[in-house]
Amino acid sequence: MNQMTNPTAENQPPMLRAQDLTHRVRLETDTLTILQGVNLEINRGESVAIVGRSGSGKTTLLGLLAGLDTPTEGSVELDGATISQLGEDERARLRASRVGFVFQSFQLLPALTALENVMLPLELAGFEEPEKRARELLERVGLGERLTHTPRQLSGGEQQRVAIARAFASDPVVLFADEPTGNLDNRTGQAVSDLLMALNREQGTTLVMVTHDEHLAARCSRQFHIEAGQLTEPEALGEPVS
Amino acid sequence: MAAEQKLMSVRRDWRERDVRVVLAALVIAVATVATIALFASQLQRTLVTSASSFLAADRQLEAENGRPIPDTWLQEADARNLETGQMVEFSTMVFGGGGFQLVSVKAVSNEYPLRGEIEVQSGPDSPRELVQTGPKPGEVWINPRLLRLLELEIGDALEVGNRELTVSGLLIREPDGGFRLSALAPRVMMHQSDVESTGVIQEGSRVEYVYLFAGEESSLESYYQWLQPRLEPSHEWEGVRDGETFSRSLERAERFLLLGGSLAVLLAAVAVAVASRQYALSQRDTVALLKTLGLNGAGIGRLYLRRLVLWGITGMVGGLLVAIPLFWLLASMLSDVLERPVDIHLDPAALMPALLTALVSLFAFAYPPIRRLRNVPAMRVLRSQPGESGREAWPDMLVAIVAIFGLVWLYAGELALVLSLLGGLALLLASLALLGWGLVTALRRIRGGGNAWRLALVGLYRHRNASLSQIAVFAMTLMLAATLVLVRTSLLNDWQAQLPEDAPNHFLINIAPDTVDEVAGFWEQQGQPLEELYPMVRGRLTELNGEPVKEAVSKDERIGALNRELNLTWMASLPEDNEIIDGQWFADSVQTGVSVEAELAERLGLKLGDRLTFTIGSEKITEPVTSIRTVQWDSMKPNFYMAFPPGGALEGLPATWITSFYLPPQKKTALNAFSRQFPTVSVLEIDHIIGRIQEIVQQVTRAIEAILALILAAALVVMAAVVSATLRDRQREGALLRTLGGRQTLLVRSTMLEFAVLGGFAGFLGVVAAEAAVYALQFRMFEGSFSWHWQVIVPIPVISAIVLSLFGRWQLRPVLSVSPMLLLRRLE
Repeated sequence: MNQMTNPTAENQPPMLRAQDLTHRVRLETDTLTILQGVNLEINRGESVAIVGRSGSGKTTLLGLLAGLDTPTEGSVELDGATISQLGEDERARLRASRVGFVFQSFQLLPALTALENVMLPLELAGFEEPEKRARELLERVGLGERLTHTPRQLSGGEQQRVAIARAFASDPVVLFADEPTGNLDNRTGQAVSDLLMALNREQGTTLVMVTHDEHLAARCSRQFHIEAGQLTEPEALGEPVS
Repeated sequence: MAAEQKLMSVRRDWRERDVRVVLAALVIAVATVATIALFASQLQRTLVTSASSFLAADRQLEAENGRPIPDTWLQEADARNLETGQMVEFSTMVFGGGGFQLVSVKAVSNEYPLRGEIEVQSGPDSPRELVQTGPKPGEVWINPRLLRLLELEIGDALEVGNRELTVSGLLIREPDGGFRLSALAPRVMMHQSDVESTGVIQEGSRVEYVYLFAGEESSLESYYQWLQPRLEPSHEWEGVRDGETFSRSLERAERFLLLGGSLAVLLAAVAVAVASRQYALSQRDTVALLKTLGLNGAGIGRLYLRRLVLWGITGMVGGLLVAIPLFWLLASMLSDVLERPVDIHLDPAALMPALLTALVSLFAFAYPPIRRLRNVPAMRVLRSQPGESGREAWPDMLVAIVAIFGLVWLYAGELALVLSLLGGLALLLASLALLGWGLVTALRRIRGGGNAWRLALVGLYRHRNASLSQIAVFAMTLMLAATLVLVRTSLLNDWQAQLPEDAPNHFLINIAPDTVDEVAGFWEQQGQPLEELYPMVRGRLTELNGEPVKEAVSKDERIGALNRELNLTWMASLPEDNEIIDGQWFADSVQTGVSVEAELAERLGLKLGDRLTFTIGSEKITEPVTSIRTVQWDSMKPNFYMAFPPGGALEGLPATWITSFYLPPQKKTALNAFSRQFPTVSVLEIDHIIGRIQEIVQQVTRAIEAILALILAAALVVMAAVVSATLRDRQREGALLRTLGGRQTLLVRSTMLEFAVLGGFAGFLGVVAAEAAVYALQFRMFEGSFSWHWQVIVPIPVISAIVLSLFGRWQLRPVLSVSPMLLLRRLE
């Protein structure tokens, strides 16, 4: 399944399906609705951008799709598993084996070297030779010479490349990226997104990305707009995705 | 500077976790040190009061010349606001009921006792009660044995000289029932105003006038300064500190409290250091921002210095607000233990060490990392800069260590204590360096995996710097706590060993040489064999190397032993609990020489070979000092300043024999038969004194335990501070691990294991360092013997492993309960 290369296989169930996804947060005085009745289907091998302004609910949606949080209402299916019904540990197991993450603020552990950061998901998933695989990936992202450097000794672009290497380390089927170039300058951002897209293609991963970078969004096969918790797909003539 | 003013808000500071930890550490520091100091001072007062009750006063003046002291002396004491009381002691025959009996009378004034209580019974079967005054005029209280000897009953008359007095109570215990030789015969207590009418006291009678004084220590001292030039050789001024029976126990208890206080100071410093370093780290971004906004290094220095002062004040006030109620609680607990109210006294001087501790911890430990903040480059705003390497911190650390141990020295006044603790600490750091090297080499090989153990070990290796510094702090904390536990244990064991259940509680004195065997036989038959019997000759030390002793010895020294007759003895072998510290014990055939007790030898400045001349009756004997030995004064056995060899100079002089033995309460009636069979032998009953000592030991034990609990609580807080110093990093790591698919159980297990390994190592190192410190302390300060303490070497590492793994579990809590996404956002 990890090697699946046909991005639009019609006969297979979608990689991600969200139905009537609603998310509310209880505040001190009242309840805030962040997502309202979101429906979404993403097929295998697709690359999808979710675009929206700050506070529109896009990162929340990403978290729910990735099983980092559970929705107030509605359901999320990831690779055939209804993750909104799974327990925390089962979701963790699913993440360890099938999901990769790239964050805006890199989220590398400061005490660990680049190599150790990349090894982390491999160790959690119980890989036999985590170091070998991590080395290969860091060489692939061009950091073969910086294996023993800690995040503090790396530039922002380099840190994000380590994070990308980490995201692909455990052969995920779906990769979630939250503003992957948000903290980087244009040129570095361009290089990082090139790398992300290239790896995505090579590995045949499904990519779900939250961004407000129009250029980056344009490189994805589909785009969604989110505003005030409502999702629309402009290519589908502004109608909600069914 | 308006911006600076705005930045100086305690309320804003309070919102920062690290500031709360610094403040909590300060509050705990001040509270612990202040509580201990206040309580130690209170205990000191209570103990002195308890011990004072052995004199029935704070000081006694004895006039052994049979004449009262001039009235002006008492008027002077009144003028200095001292309470005074009087008593007269003499021996006489009394008549009543079945016959005559030689008794020892104590006639007391209304004020007696100034300290302590008298224990009495209104009849042989009535309950015992404690009273604060002696018998009324016309009445007497008598020893229960006298009641049996004379076949008297309560309410009967007893003739003392020309006067008939009514027996109104049984005297069980008097607060000043010490080892006075005049108090050998059964005791009769009467009122002082009845003495004259008995007609017993004539010119030349053997009478001892005793005056009691109580009041403020400073008044007593200044009164003594006034009195000293007026005293005659037959006058003896006695204070608690001179009482040999107690001083040692008191001294040790005091030292223990000082040790506890010193450890509290050290723990506090560690807590403040850890928390403020963490604070400084977290402030680097803020400082960079402030610099970007135009604040210069000096301005930043001022800003943080002012903040530090503000914390200092908050910490001190907060600490005192905790300490004072806590002290009241402890003091009232003390009252409960003593079953009588304790006069609670808040000694302002006792607060000084606490405030000083706060200042030193702040300026020696918290200030350096905060001062270095001004060096943070403004560039940091744009790009994270390498942090400090720790090398710059070394000189500061050195200053801090000197400062804190200086404080301990000032506080405890014991260089030995400071050196012992420093030694233990040095050993600890050395082993830690070794361990660090071992950890790196051993763990390097371990590769991660889904297994909790491997994950834990990999965690230890990857965070090796943090792990080692955590182990250092934990080990230090545990060392301090373990030192206290060990010292406490050996202190209590020593006390118990000193006064076992069957410690001798009766003395037999004045045994004629030809009845020694019969007396021994009597008690053999009763199943209560006697301890060693010693001959006793009364004599005065009059010359030292041919010079009158009072001229040979500096005038400043008040040496009671020179003012009174000493008990001299001869013995073939050294008593078991004595120890020769200089010279040699008498060889078998040697008949010359004298062995002198060590403390007296030191005060007189005696050395081997000095010739001592004793005046015994009309005879003079001169002997060279051939050995100096220590004596266990609190052993409840006959002890002697001066011992001669058998067949030496003393033999042939008129001697009586003395011994002690244990008599259980149920066999006390045997004393009646004994007194009838050996009327000339005096029996000194000290069972009540022993009971009293045991009671005091018990109360000190409770206090020590309370203080131990306080210190352990402080240690726990230090550990919590250290663990929470890395809270943010650990939570971020936990959240990330969960995001990357780590299961909760794996996370929990590996974290707990990692902390357990940390705790186990720290516990082991701490215990070993504590053993080293105790080894040093034991010899210098507590005079005990040292042995390995397996009872702590094994459990402490285990307990510390368990406690730390629970801490680890506890700090993971938010990571487990919140969705990883929320946590990552929060920690960003």
